[in-house]
Amino acid sequence: MALTILIGTFILGLIIGVPVAVTLGLASLAYLIYVDIPIVVMPQKMYAGMDVFVLLSIPGFILAGNLMNNGGITERIIRFANAIVGWARGGLGLTNVGASMLFGGITGTAVADAASIGGVMIPGMKKAGYPADFSAAVTAASSTVGPIIPPSVPMIIVGALSGISVGQMFLAGAIPGILMGFAMMITAYLIARKKNFPKQPWLGFAEIIKSFGGAFWAIAMTALIIYGLLSGIATPTETAIVASVYAFAVGAFVYGDLKLTMVPKILINSAISSAAILVLVGFANVFGWILVSEKIPQAIAEAVLTLTDNPILVVLIINILLLFVGMFMETIAALIILFPPLLALAIAVEIEPLHFATFAVLNLMIGLTTPPLGVCLFVCSNIARTPLTPVVKAIFPFLVTNIIVLLLVSYIPAIATWLPSIVQN
Amino acid sequence: MHTLENTLVFCFRALIGISFSVLAGAVLVQVLGRLFSNSPIWTEELTRFALLYTAAIGAGLSFRSGDLVNVDVFCDRFGKTWSRRFRFISSTLTALLCGVLIQPSWQFVQIGQLQTSPAMELPMHFVHFSITALLTILFLFSGLRAVSIAFLDQEGYPVKLD
Repeated sequence: MALTILIGTFILGLIIGVPVAVTLGLASLAYLIYVDIPIVVMPQKMYAGMDVFVLLSIPGFILAGNLMNNGGITERIIRFANAIVGWARGGLGLTNVGASMLFGGITGTAVADAASIGGVMIPGMKKAGYPADFSAAVTAASSTVGPIIPPSVPMIIVGALSGISVGQMFLAGAIPGILMGFAMMITAYLIARKKNFPKQPWLGFAEIIKSFGGAFWAIAMTALIIYGLLSGIATPTETAIVASVYAFAVGAFVYGDLKLTMVPKILINSAISSAAILVLVGFANVFGWILVSEKIPQAIAEAVLTLTDNPILVVLIINILLLFVGMFMETIAALIILFPPLLALAIAVEIEPLHFATFAVLNLMIGLTTPPLGVCLFVCSNIARTPLTPVVKAIFPFLVTNIIVLLLVSYIPAIATWLPSIVQN
Repeated sequence: MHTLENTLVFCFRALIGISFSVLAGAVLVQVLGRLFSNSPIWTEELTRFALLYTAAIGAGLSFRSGDLVNVDVFCDRFGKTWSRRFRFISSTLTALLCGVLIQPSWQFVQIGQLQTSPAMELPMHFVHFSITALLTILFLFSGLRAVSIAFLDQEGYPVKLD
């Protein structure tokens, strides 16, 4: 009965539009009152969830991304991606994916990617003769690469939950992120050929070299973050703040688009976005603690292992569960609640935690482009000023592509673990 | 009411700017300290405490801006009137949750009186108070939205960050 109250309150809260963080809090409160546990445990668990060393890096990475974004990086990245792939059939679709891959190395959040790249690319694609639904769909789908290519806010959360090094997590996401990007480029190209979308003239190597000058600073920031984390000279928090200083210097002095007067607003907005994540982490930690105390992780592991202990089937079950949950639940809340129980299950069938963490994050990112809670889907259909239904239809081939990549990463551990292992050695 | 909300937003935006600057400043001191000699021992603690207060101060603003995400697909299907009613219920439930938790969070603050932080030797009730602050500020902003929908004929939509 207590569990029914917990889950029932949570689902009801979601349906009536209560913020996900608050829904988690309400469900936990209802449970604690029912089982007669003093509710002073809630503030304690919220505090314990938020006071985690690794989480300190989140505001820094968000600030660095926002500084870069306001500093004029978006147009430069798009220009560079366009110089490389824009000449192919449906070239702007490919440019869109390429720009998201580069942009993902800056913000670490899919929604920021969808809004920034989409704000420039979607109107541009529509003007060039691409259908609005395809333009919105390709932007939404490619934005999911952002949190897989380092840096990545969800991967920082995983680091906080599991103790896996954030640097290792970032590295593990690099190859799957690139693979996902290239797979989406192929999908966009095949759709473009079938529907005879326009292509642009080849701009020549001179344009590639010239535009690289603008995009270089963005790529260098990703390199700086990876180097800072892996060399051991800086903690994730220090790396994030150094990246923010770097982003400010590039925006203000190299590009010259970032004005000093813009900085306070960027800083405050970044702090508010970070606060939202931390409030969610706080309430989700209480909910997660209740699940653990109710022995839900063991129950899930036992239930699945009763069905099968075949690792191939267990991975499939985990993926189906995460895909389903990702459709309805906010990514970070889903990670905090589901990651620990599913990690226990993964370890039981000898799946390496780093490998499991990588495909779990990749899986939940796909949920950002599926209704009813596909945030990136909403952002892009708003920018494209087109109804959601045609965008949902247009995104279907990209969803299939991303699920194929997910299965590859799930069943070939080396895609995730090879890069961290060679760097570590 | 509008003036009250604008004043609150102005004050909390200023405060969150300060707490985030403290966080970033402490980390920079840590990095620079390491470059030139040894980092001061208090920087890590100050960063952690600044983050907790950034979350506390920003809780209300993130509720107001919609950064505290919700699933509005279901309630939007019920039409404008019901959608507005759901926003009222949602704001009221948020205020209710925070209102109920404020007193227990104060008990948590009192527990902190028995401890001090190792590096800064700060009594921990100052740090534990961040949770009380978070709940109070979230109560304030959600309560304001509920009141504005119920009595001021407002729609209660989030005000996006620009």
